[in-house]
Amino acid sequence: MQQTENSSRDRILERIRAGLRAPAPEPAETSSDSVIFESINNPLQRFQQECVANLTECVLTADTMASALQLAKVLESLPAGEVFVQDDLSLRSLIELACSSRPIRWSSQGAPSEASQATVTLAETLIAQTGSILVTASCGGRGASVIAPCHIVFATVAQLVPDLQTALRSAFKEGRLAHNSFACVISGSSRTADIEKILVQGAHGPRRLVIILQSGN
Amino acid sequence: MSATAAQRFLQDAAVKSADLVHREIILHGLESYDAAVLRGRARFKDWEAARQRCQEIKREAINHLDRYLLQFEERVIAHSGHVFWAANGEEACSYIKNLASRHGVRTVVKSKSMVTEEIHLSPALEKAGIKVWETDLGEFIVQLRNEPPYHIVTPAMHLNRGQISELFREKLGEDIHGDDPAELVAAARRNLRRAFFAAEMGISGANFLVADSGLIALSTNEGNGRLCTSLPRIHVAVTGIEKVIPRLEDLAYLWPVLATSGTGQPITTYSTLIGGPRKPGEPDGPEEFHVVLVDNGRSKLLADAEQREVLHCIRCGACLNICPVFRHIGGHSYGTTYQGPIGSVLTPHLRGLSDFQHLSYASSLCGACTSVCPVKIDLHHHLLHNRRNAARAGTTKFSERIMFRVWRYIILHPQIYALTGWLARRTLRLFYGLGLAGSVVDPMRVWNRRRSAVPLPSESFRTRWRKGLATN
Repeated sequence: MQQTENSSRDRILERIRAGLRAPAPEPAETSSDSVIFESINNPLQRFQQECVANLTECVLTADTMASALQLAKVLESLPAGEVFVQDDLSLRSLIELACSSRPIRWSSQGAPSEASQATVTLAETLIAQTGSILVTASCGGRGASVIAPCHIVFATVAQLVPDLQTALRSAFKEGRLAHNSFACVISGSSRTADIEKILVQGAHGPRRLVIILQSGN
Repeated sequence: MSATAAQRFLQDAAVKSADLVHREIILHGLESYDAAVLRGRARFKDWEAARQRCQEIKREAINHLDRYLLQFEERVIAHSGHVFWAANGEEACSYIKNLASRHGVRTVVKSKSMVTEEIHLSPALEKAGIKVWETDLGEFIVQLRNEPPYHIVTPAMHLNRGQISELFREKLGEDIHGDDPAELVAAARRNLRRAFFAAEMGISGANFLVADSGLIALSTNEGNGRLCTSLPRIHVAVTGIEKVIPRLEDLAYLWPVLATSGTGQPITTYSTLIGGPRKPGEPDGPEEFHVVLVDNGRSKLLADAEQREVLHCIRCGACLNICPVFRHIGGHSYGTTYQGPIGSVLTPHLRGLSDFQHLSYASSLCGACTSVCPVKIDLHHHLLHNRRNAARAGTTKFSERIMFRVWRYIILHPQIYALTGWLARRTLRLFYGLGLAGSVVDPMRVWNRRRSAVPLPSESFRTRWRKGLATN
């Protein structure tokens, strides 16, 4: 790999080291043992509450058949056009069951096209604390969760973790972040409040984020 | 002779604080912000403990900056990324310009980054014939108006929907009827989509640099940051050296605290982590990933142990939003990249104490900024430190030094103090009696010209005290 020319690197590092020779004043207060976040006793309930708050559509299903039905329902509500799907065995069977007649582009065929109407992917983890999903490049790539106007995520209740700390810690320990060039904690649809602080969904990314959350097999 | 930064500041602040339309827009925006932040803080079991934790994380990072930056660099290079260290804005801009020209880049899409504003990256690229699209909606709006961002988090906070609708009709040729924000957002989306898919280079900032994993963390709500870092062939992240944090797990505190302070959200919609170019087997993503670490005066501030904690700032904008001065004079009056209390503290360090010491006085020292800072920077005391440093450096005006000497003499001599008070009351009463309050000859003109005249007491506090105030 080509080495980056860095003529100022050593000079900056030297300045930093020289600057740090004088210690910073001690802070007025030191850490207490206080608990920062409320504890989460029922992760599923919390996840569903947070999804309502961040405008994610979360549908709880009992089994694969019910999930396929939900998927079909969401796809029917969308305008005609291609659907981009993460190339994964479970999603292949789900798409087959959903009997969609739409053209499908699989992630193994490359990036989603600009005209995709929806994306169907898995998630690595679901985070109850913030009603978020953690996706990585393994979940259909970077564009999968942001290019199409609707992002549909198929997940199971077993993927739920209580909080961000647990999610980040396990992603780090299991090397999921080292094996992917990209990860994202997604908490709702794309949005902006840049005009008079009025919330508008679908700024640049999906207007809808739908999570089909399956509790059984 | 052109006006100095201090003169321009006074002029612009005077105009803005008398602009009632501006005031209404800002107060309306900040009312919804205040309510959202209160709701956001209530989600924490102990908000103060969260601030304390974030302060400790940043304190550890900044006080071991060399170690964590090297760790970050090593990990990024291990994932086939490039790390460039820029001593100043010029070095950063020329690295990015050369990179663009090597790859034949003609279009750049940018997500919001205050460091790129600080180093004037967009004008440098435009000068080299490269079209730069700001893709954050607020930034896109101010770019169309040829204005700098008004606020570090909400760049177009000073405009209402009618003004934005008019701007889009004029500059984008969009056939927009009315001023529905959803329609305006859709128009921006349509225009920027073309740019996203055409651009060869995406430029982002970074909210945090995670040392133990070699990742940049990027928070955006709109998803524009996601598109800038997914679609173009090259991704360049431009950021200050102070953005490094030790561990990935630290984000479990920093992300919620940043979002709560910035907008009141529990977490920003897209909290993205990027560690390099696309890996083999990934369906998309840039082929090259560059991180440009900008010093530009930060290492000098680091050497000032007393004010080192100013580098803890996570740019949430909370101190701007709460500041009574910012609320009245607005972001543009400061004439700086970083506005409000943090800008007033930081700018003299980045751009020179002598030219920007006046900002240390753009504060009532009420301490509201310090009370909301999510990393507990003692902002109003740093404004005082800057005032003291300016006085020590002898950069204060001669007239000011004389006035303070006279003042010191008077307050150390009670009889003279009493006489001066008596004289002042007499003189002002005479001016007021002649209808000269607020006129050019009124010694209280600075206050009186825009307000009802300061009421004058009939007798001094000393007399009232003697008459029995003490026993009441």
